[in-house]
Amino acid sequence: MKLRESVRIGWRAITGHKLRSTLTTVGVIIGIASVIVFMVLGGAFTENVVGDLDDESEPVMQVVTQTEPETGTGIMFVEAPIYTESDVEAIEGMDGVDYVAPSGSLPAVQLSHGEESQTGTVGVEATIPERFGNESMYPLEDGETFSPSADDEAVVSGQVARLFEDNVSVGDELSITFEDGETETVTAVGIANTTVGGQPSQPTVYLPVDSHYELTIETPDGETERAYPSLEVRAESMDDVDPTKEAITEYFETDADARELKDDEHTIAVQTVDDAVDQVAGIVDQLTVFIGGIAAISLVVGSIGIANIMIVSVTERTREIGVMKAVGARKRDIVQLFLLESVILGAIGAVVGVAAGIGLGYLAVSMLGWPMVYPLQWIAIAAAVGVGVGVLSGLYPAWRAASVDPIEALRRE
Amino acid sequence: MSTGEPASEGGSPVVARDVRRTYYMGESVDALDGVSLSLPAGSYTAVMGPSGSGKSTLMNLLGCLDTPDEGTVEIGGRSVGDLSGGERARLRGTEIGFVFQTFNLMPRLTAAENVTLPLVFHDGVEAGRHERAETLLSRVGLGDRLDHAPNELSGGQRQRVAIARALANEPTLLLADEPTGNLDTETGNEILAVFDELQAAGRTILMVTHERRVAERADRIVHLIDGELAEIEQLEGKR
Repeated sequence: MKLRESVRIGWRAITGHKLRSTLTTVGVIIGIASVIVFMVLGGAFTENVVGDLDDESEPVMQVVTQTEPETGTGIMFVEAPIYTESDVEAIEGMDGVDYVAPSGSLPAVQLSHGEESQTGTVGVEATIPERFGNESMYPLEDGETFSPSADDEAVVSGQVARLFEDNVSVGDELSITFEDGETETVTAVGIANTTVGGQPSQPTVYLPVDSHYELTIETPDGETERAYPSLEVRAESMDDVDPTKEAITEYFETDADARELKDDEHTIAVQTVDDAVDQVAGIVDQLTVFIGGIAAISLVVGSIGIANIMIVSVTERTREIGVMKAVGARKRDIVQLFLLESVILGAIGAVVGVAAGIGLGYLAVSMLGWPMVYPLQWIAIAAAVGVGVGVLSGLYPAWRAASVDPIEALRRE
Repeated sequence: MSTGEPASEGGSPVVARDVRRTYYMGESVDALDGVSLSLPAGSYTAVMGPSGSGKSTLMNLLGCLDTPDEGTVEIGGRSVGDLSGGERARLRGTEIGFVFQTFNLMPRLTAAENVTLPLVFHDGVEAGRHERAETLLSRVGLGDRLDHAPNELSGGQRQRVAIARALANEPTLLLADEPTGNLDTETGNEILAVFDELQAAGRTILMVTHERRVAERADRIVHLIDGELAEIEQLEGKR
């Protein structure tokens, strides 16, 4: 029996029960569409974060302390001041290193600009002037960076500038109140764009580390030095990133003060932008597959729906099967006919499901302002699964149809 | 269409030899108990008998739907018992044309598609299929009903479509099971007239019926009683 003939007869049977066939395929459509939607969302989210990070790739790496949480899995960051001035100097002396920016947050509680005050939302960070500038991690929107040891100059992030109704502009005075009740007045000399990967960071006021950071620690050599909870290292070029990362990693494994000062269960990690990208992408991928897996359960339900309706169909058409056998249909012709029918149902479900999934995904993604991503391999998988679902759920009904005894079938009234 | 000799000259294209068919329903019942019958080419045979006499069983065996437990059924020189299920299906499709009491048309196919259904199941015959349906339906007086669905046709018209379908593969044997059973007398007579024409054109026909009036259209009447061949009655009035 020619395939074309089976399609013709099968299609006639499907369109003969429009409502029933539609409802049956809706099950598959929902399953496939939801898988595709989640894949689109996951892909778009990754693309949104990762794509922007890649675009703005800087030869910058972060030195951070990590630990494994006591419960659960994953990685937690530790804010322990273990990176000493000696460590900073040692890294600064390495080949290919542009600057090492120690950073430590200062315990500020309130920020005032003229009559307006902000409490709690603003962070204050001590750092070095090299971080701000056209060739740096944080380009300046306006003004210039502070001088290394000035005690009355600050760079504010764009978020801080726009936090106040009366926007902060270069030359404005800001009052910072610290936890210990002391208030300092500084002049905003520069406004920096601190968005990373399109994501706005916390509104932060940056102050020169030399004049503001006072946290000290006793080094293994018995000296008292300032120590920071994390470092930002900038290499001279992208090509220097990997060798520099290697050198820094080795330094922290052998000579560093931080190695002696850290808790035993903590580890020191040097993360490049690429590492961060990989980490985010890895987590999102896992999450996407997990949610997609849950969505796939509805596919199973959909395929049971097809199997169910095919069994009903076989029972209803027992007499027709008998007639077909009487006029020369072989078992395999009958199998082909019914299998094709369920494959058509599955395939329609796959096509409409993929279309609906992409459509809904596109809608959701554009509402969220993320870039649209076409999860091609998932579309291919979904299409294959749709047809596979048709085959699987059609196998038993088709076998039942082929096993119909024509004598019995024709005797039925 | 060709209406020439459908099978071998001289010998009988359909022969049943000492056929026994036993069913087991609690106890074994011999539906057919050693029946021998040959259907010469171009013959028109009616089978009569009370219900349970084995009429349907004989028809199923001659129609290759069933195989005998003992004895042989030969169609076109091939022994049915030796064939696989698929080969028997092929034989049904090429050598046998069935006409049923309840017409048994495919409800979702048009008249023309119903007629060419047997051709669908063996590849090869594809070209001119629609023309063939047209020729066959014209022969049974339905040349203007090609694209009608079965539920748009009267009982008599449906049976004509079924006869056209039975002829689609130029079968060696035309098997009719109470073809007028669901029709009023007048329509039934029209259908019987079609069978007369088919015999005149050289077809070999076997018709199961319980009506003497219908059976008398044939050359001879085979009487079955309790699974045994009681009598073959030659009807001299015919030819």
